[in-house]
Amino acid sequence: MTYLEISLPRLAISFALIVGAILLSRRSRVGLEGQLLWGAIRAAAQLLAIGYGLLLLFGHERPWSVLLVLLVMVLVAAATAARRVEHGPPSRRLFLPALLAIVGGGSLALVPVFAFVISPTPWYEARLLVPISGMILSNAMNVVALVFERLFSVAESEAPRIEQLLSLGATPAQALETQERAAVRAAMIPAINGLLTVGLVALPGMMTGQIVSGTPPIRAVRYQIVIMYQLAAVATVSSLLAAWLVRRLVFNRHQQLATARASARRASAPSEAPAR
Amino acid sequence: MLDGASLRVEAGTVAVIEGASGSGKSTFLRVMATLLQPDGGDVLLHDVPSSAISPQEFRRRVAFVSQRPPMLPGDVEANVATGPRLRGEELRRTRLVELLREVCLDPELIERPADELSGGEQQRVAIARALANDPEFLLLDEPTSALDPATASHVVGTILALARRGLGVVVVTHDRSQAASLTATPWECVGGKIGSAR
Repeated sequence: MTYLEISLPRLAISFALIVGAILLSRRSRVGLEGQLLWGAIRAAAQLLAIGYGLLLLFGHERPWSVLLVLLVMVLVAAATAARRVEHGPPSRRLFLPALLAIVGGGSLALVPVFAFVISPTPWYEARLLVPISGMILSNAMNVVALVFERLFSVAESEAPRIEQLLSLGATPAQALETQERAAVRAAMIPAINGLLTVGLVALPGMMTGQIVSGTPPIRAVRYQIVIMYQLAAVATVSSLLAAWLVRRLVFNRHQQLATARASARRASAPSEAPAR
Repeated sequence: MLDGASLRVEAGTVAVIEGASGSGKSTFLRVMATLLQPDGGDVLLHDVPSSAISPQEFRRRVAFVSQRPPMLPGDVEANVATGPRLRGEELRRTRLVELLREVCLDPELIERPADELSGGEQQRVAIARALANDPEFLLLDEPTSALDPATASHVVGTILALARRGLGVVVVTHDRSQAASLTATPWECVGGKIGSAR
């Protein structure tokens, strides 16, 4: 098996796919031509940049340079997961919980695998550490964002039920238990579905990449199995951590719903319930 | 929303706050239930500020029933037993039946899913649920707004009986005649201030 290189002129030919998509979007008045073009240019620019970036990193592989790249990845992932959610606090208050949940889940999924399963030499081998960490961290990011989004939204929509439990003497943990569990379950569904359908519906990117570059499929699948298990682990740990860490933002220090004041303002002019 | 509102409730009495929608009476009750933090002032329980008592203990001793109290998942028994269950205690069957009788609910409803009950029955399940914590004070927000006149007068009777038993009760209502039937001196909430209605 040989690796077939795509020359730059041939790469340009693939752009015809985007041109086709733009023409179709225009003809059927979907109105996404601008976004398609901008997305295609950004994707190419970002990937070319990371390609050269990785080339540079592989050429100067030092523990600090690899760790610096991982640090940037973690910070970007946390900032993205902490983007303002409806009914939630400002991003700056979500950043730290997001960072801790991503680092917690990420390190639990990455450290044992790099120590005992892949065991690269040197341990900071960027060719392995950077792409695999990227997959795990981006999954942690998505899971954390989902938990945040879901928890603040149900804390608002189910505020009467949560306050009912508080007024019966529930701790914040008890009052939010059902909603936390639902948020964690919802955030984990993609990882579970991934485990169930991998190889049947989709061939994951990393495995495809290895096969395309000439690795025998039977070796590539071993890597993929490890990755799938890591994804399941990171989804579990990061979502649980995110739910636990963000609970203190749903409630204030008086163990009241943090959104209670806003709700009280809305409820200050209620329509009286009909008699029955 | 509320300004300079103050109220002292004695054990064994019913205090009624009446006022139009949006006058701040429900907000005042939620502040008393420690579900809402006032910008200033405090809620005292036997002269001890609420901040010096754990929220769990305060809310067990000062029970709150909202205007349209949400039913929790499960049957009537699961709902009424919520408070004790949160503390890891069990509500005995005899006590459960006693509580349902106290709020004029047929004990046969015990195994009925709570969300299938009528509005009036849910209101009374909510009062029984609050009483299951053996509170010293009971805060009721429009407790009869979802009830027909006959049931409403029964609930009024229940409230008076609870007060005779030694419970301090605060009732918020927009219904002047109900305020009068519950107490000799209803308090009026106008524009966030509380004063005597008479």
